[in-house]
Amino acid sequence: MSEGRTPPTTGAAEERDELREALDGLRREIRARFPRTQPRPGAPPPELERLVGELRRRLATFGMVERSGEVDEFGMDDAALRRARPLLDFLFDSYWRVSAQGAENLPDGPCLLVANRSGLLPYDGLMVAHAVERSAADRGRPRFLVADWLMTLPFVQPYLARLGGVRACRENAERLLATGHSVVAFPEGVKGAAKVFRERYRLKRFGRGGVVRVALESGVPLVPVGVVGAEEAHPILFKLHTPARAVGLPFLPVTPTFPWLGPLGALPLPTKWVLRFGEPLAMEHLDPEAVADELLISRLTEETRTRIQTLVEVGLADRVSVWG
Amino acid sequence: MVSEGGVSAPSIIAVTGLGTFLGRRLTDRLLARGRSLRVLGLDHRRPFRLSEGVDFHRVDLTEPTADGRLAEILSRERVDAIVHAAFRTQPTADLEMDHELETIGSLHVMNACAAAKVRRLVVASSTMLYGPRPDNPNFLSEEHPLRGHPHAHNVQDRVEVETLLADWRRRHPDTEVTVLRGCWVFGPAYWDHVVRYFSLPVVPMLLGYDPLMQFVHEDDWVHAFERAILAPHPGVYNVVGRGVLPLSTILRLAGRRPLRLPTPLLYRMASYPSQGQTGDAPAGFYDYLRYLWVADGRRGWDAFGEPVYSTKEAWMSFVSSRRMRRYR
Repeated sequence: MSEGRTPPTTGAAEERDELREALDGLRREIRARFPRTQPRPGAPPPELERLVGELRRRLATFGMVERSGEVDEFGMDDAALRRARPLLDFLFDSYWRVSAQGAENLPDGPCLLVANRSGLLPYDGLMVAHAVERSAADRGRPRFLVADWLMTLPFVQPYLARLGGVRACRENAERLLATGHSVVAFPEGVKGAAKVFRERYRLKRFGRGGVVRVALESGVPLVPVGVVGAEEAHPILFKLHTPARAVGLPFLPVTPTFPWLGPLGALPLPTKWVLRFGEPLAMEHLDPEAVADELLISRLTEETRTRIQTLVEVGLADRVSVWG
Repeated sequence: MVSEGGVSAPSIIAVTGLGTFLGRRLTDRLLARGRSLRVLGLDHRRPFRLSEGVDFHRVDLTEPTADGRLAEILSRERVDAIVHAAFRTQPTADLEMDHELETIGSLHVMNACAAAKVRRLVVASSTMLYGPRPDNPNFLSEEHPLRGHPHAHNVQDRVEVETLLADWRRRHPDTEVTVLRGCWVFGPAYWDHVVRYFSLPVVPMLLGYDPLMQFVHEDDWVHAFERAILAPHPGVYNVVGRGVLPLSTILRLAGRRPLRLPTPLLYRMASYPSQGQTGDAPAGFYDYLRYLWVADGRRGWDAFGEPVYSTKEAWMSFVSSRRMRRYR
């Protein structure tokens, strides 16, 4: 412990300074006598030396080369995201051919994006975040909120967190918005993910008004987003409940490919996706006390739901076929 | 609050659990502040190394009459402030004894404080009391309910301590009560069952889980107690380091190889050793490596100052002191 140690006396400090001066003098002398010259003839070129050095470094840190080891406070890892970017770009551009419309409606600062939920795995969150990030150069990547059961599912959870997934709860959303991050929320929750094929694009009830309350309290705009195409990527024919209990899932979906093709059946279908960003909900005229007004909250929540439903329906009417 | 009977600067401080790491470090720090401070050390036996200047008193908190004896010492020595740190560093298989010491012992300390009219009480607690739960938010604030863990008797005992303390505080508004909830402590000298787990040659991990971890350095931890006892800070504070790291990164930084086992297998394999060592099912410890239980430290940082070590620095301080790192 530093407190227990006696402070060095002035004599010792002077001695140390003298020693340091002497060493500095020696260093200067050496530099003057042996100037850095051009490499000797026959010596390996500097590029090769650099390469060897790099190789040695990589060998010494084998298996941990591309890892940053650092995550932000919500567990997002920039290095992991960088590594996943080619895959995300492929999914965005080639696989689902996502087209983002109405990106001019996105405000400059942090905002709360509210979208319709589709499919068990949160591909929609990843794609909305990707679209927002690519819409403008200086816009940060929004975080997407993920349901509890998915956020604690083994194997899935660590990857989701590294890619910017955050457990859906009020505390997390408020903290993210307060620190200047945009947030993508899916207020339908598991009810939305569990929609069977014949119920597709019919939005379920929106939680208990949490999104509107968070947006009001954090003072950020609420942007409705309609996602079209994602709900056909995993068409759920029917749901099994008993076997799902054993693995900790809310239900086990039966799709045209899953579980018939095994793990391959978990791959989503390459449908054509359209993301429509609507105009932000007008909430500037409301004061923060409005949070206590339950009727107002439920009216705004219902309005958000209707706006998203409209965005989805416009998208559905526009498209030629599911495969685009 | 500062003006009330000069509580702002106590001159006689008692520390229970003198033999623990926290008790020893804290008394050393308080003694280093000068002669104006008198420090009483209380423990059930004389510590192996007793710092010069500590006024040692033998009190066994597990005795039924400990409260009377403690009250007598506190009022005779005119103690202004007391730090209650007499808790097990790690759970033992003796469940009943742990309960007697931690829960009933704390009750004795509270009753003695009330009888001796001690003006300030600082109690050591832990962020483990929030419990590892799948539905925890990423940052647990001090107001979050203490849900504990049903298979960790030390955690359950200390949840009970906090419940009793909250009740006691309502009945004794004259005493300033500070509760400091520290997360897992790492540093060159600290040792407990968590440190033992991380020092294993092969560290078992749950397959498919990689939660975010949060540590505090031993110096920052003790520093918070020092600040809390010397100036009025009534309330509950999380004492944690800045930043979080995934468990896998933590092990990689130490050059440790994790042994990833499926949860049911690990819980079954570790059942008997765990029952022998801690008297609990393995879930009582390994669930803390499964779900998130990171605390929000902002209130503590505002009150006690910015911690010197972040989570990563605390961990690296421990790693370099043990020479665990093998490469880079």
